[in-house]
Amino acid sequence: MVNAKVLLTTTFIASTVFAQGSAPAPLAPPSAGAPADVSVKQRPTLTPEEMVNQSRDYAKSMNEVLKRIQVLQDQAKRDKDIIRLNCVTDKVVQVRVNISIAEQSIASLQEAVTRNDEGERVHEFTRLTIVNQKVQVLGAEAENCIGEDLSFVGATKVDVEIDPNIPQYDPTQPPAPGIDIERPGEASPLTG
Amino acid sequence: MNRLRLSLSIAIAVTGFARAALAQEVTIGYQGLPYKATGESNTGIQVSEGVLLHVGAGAEAGYDTNVFYAESGTETASPLIRTSVFGDLSNATRTGSVGKVQFDLRAGLTYRRYQSDDVNVQRFSNAWMPTAGVALSTGGGQFGFGLADTFARLEDPPYAETGPVPITRYNNQASIEGRWAPGGGRLTATLRYTNMIDIFSEESGYNYANADSNYLMLDTAWKWLPKTAVFLTAQQGYIFYLNDALATANGKASSFPLVVSTGLRGLLTEKTSGTLALGYTNGFYSGGFSTSGFWGSTYADVSFTLRPTMLSRVVAGYRHDFTNAVIASFSYNETVYASYVQQIAGRLALDISGRYSHRNYQGQFVDMAQADRSDDFIQAGATLDYFIRNWIYFGVGYSILNNSSNVVAVDYLKQQMFVRLGLTY
Repeated sequence: MVNAKVLLTTTFIASTVFAQGSAPAPLAPPSAGAPADVSVKQRPTLTPEEMVNQSRDYAKSMNEVLKRIQVLQDQAKRDKDIIRLNCVTDKVVQVRVNISIAEQSIASLQEAVTRNDEGERVHEFTRLTIVNQKVQVLGAEAENCIGEDLSFVGATKVDVEIDPNIPQYDPTQPPAPGIDIERPGEASPLTG
Repeated sequence: MNRLRLSLSIAIAVTGFARAALAQEVTIGYQGLPYKATGESNTGIQVSEGVLLHVGAGAEAGYDTNVFYAESGTETASPLIRTSVFGDLSNATRTGSVGKVQFDLRAGLTYRRYQSDDVNVQRFSNAWMPTAGVALSTGGGQFGFGLADTFARLEDPPYAETGPVPITRYNNQASIEGRWAPGGGRLTATLRYTNMIDIFSEESGYNYANADSNYLMLDTAWKWLPKTAVFLTAQQGYIFYLNDALATANGKASSFPLVVSTGLRGLLTEKTSGTLALGYTNGFYSGGFSTSGFWGSTYADVSFTLRPTMLSRVVAGYRHDFTNAVIASFSYNETVYASYVQQIAGRLALDISGRYSHRNYQGQFVDMAQADRSDDFIQAGATLDYFIRNWIYFGVGYSILNNSSNVVAVDYLKQQMFVRLGLTY
């Protein structure tokens, strides 16, 4: 039990440190008369191996998003919810396109690492990061696709009020069969 | 409801010969014991899923002013009691809704007893009158099918108090029909075959009139409003007598009555419905005589039903037609009738109805001394029932039958008054 707590704590701290990346070099105090460097540092500080590993994580994450959206698509098909299905299908198409772009970027990234081309490597990693973010957004949008539950007003319902004075039977039908039988008249002494 | 109208024939037996169905949904004359509470539907025994049983029993005690339908001054009066039991099995639910297939089985038994010291009355004091009926209807969309059968045994004292036996009559009416309603029901066609076998007991003196009546009807209608239609109906009948020799000896001849009519039926306003029918009719009697002349070949039926409130109904109508007669070949009939039904709070039920019929007998007469006989017949009934609960009721009733004729010795005035009590569930 104690070991597990130690492991969790260590993992948490390590993750935090990793997420922060390497500590930037401390800025030199501005000297009088020297211009201040106000440019934004956009270059990643990941090593080539870390970039490749991160790109794999991105690819895995994007495929999970695609699987999740496909589940939503099947669910919409089963529910015959055409409105939601259209919305989710649109997200699926966009996610597939982005995954295709990501796959190209991963391949280019690996080639750049092999060639030790830092500019190409950073470019492809940056593109991959942006594509991954787009896929994550599309996944969130797919989850929020609204179906008939909220927008469909339901099947047409007609309420008919019939005046209670109107007879329930159908008065247009021919009279029911039935021949009146009456006491015969007095015909002759025989009938007495 | 219209398809499963079994109550008519059965009720006739319960009340003697004192009811007639004229308009589409009304019976005229004394109303028999109710089989269901007024305005209540929450009764019936759920025998199984989809099968409901109604049962009931009732008794009427009253007074008959003219047991033998005798002329004024010669009447014989008597107290009487009438009891009846019935059972009704159907797939209707307590709320009235049923499936696509509807069935109704009904049976009842009425016992009538005259409580009199008069020897002549005592000879006819007891009468047992069973009834039974079955109806099946299915469909309701484009195609439909229905069949029904009702049986009744009727028994009534003879005209002469010295008569040997009562007038006992066995009547069975069966019908089968197919319905077709293409175009979402705007057009409807009904093809129906109806058979009636009418048999009098041999000693009654009327057994020469034992007859088998057959009718084939084709009704087509176009609903130009949801509950209003223009219709064209053609009905061809074939009536023949079961005892040929006896029938011939009494001037009875088979016939092929035809009625072709057209008109309008259904709702006129939200609260008013009606039937307007006009057409051609002919008896086509095989004995060399038949209905004739413009008016004699005219069939007319006009009726209006008004429902002023949910709990009341007024019906009025007029009919001109001819009917096959027992004492002659046929009679031209001019009939006017009216009915008023009022329910109060689902507990009280009032029913008042009556009709006047002028009957002009034609053709061959059983008793030729009655040639050119013409009767004015009045029939009316009133009942008032109060349902203490939806399964028990008590009430009062009144019935009057009056016949006035241009032939001697056939006039009569018969009145019956009742108090009644019954259970129905």
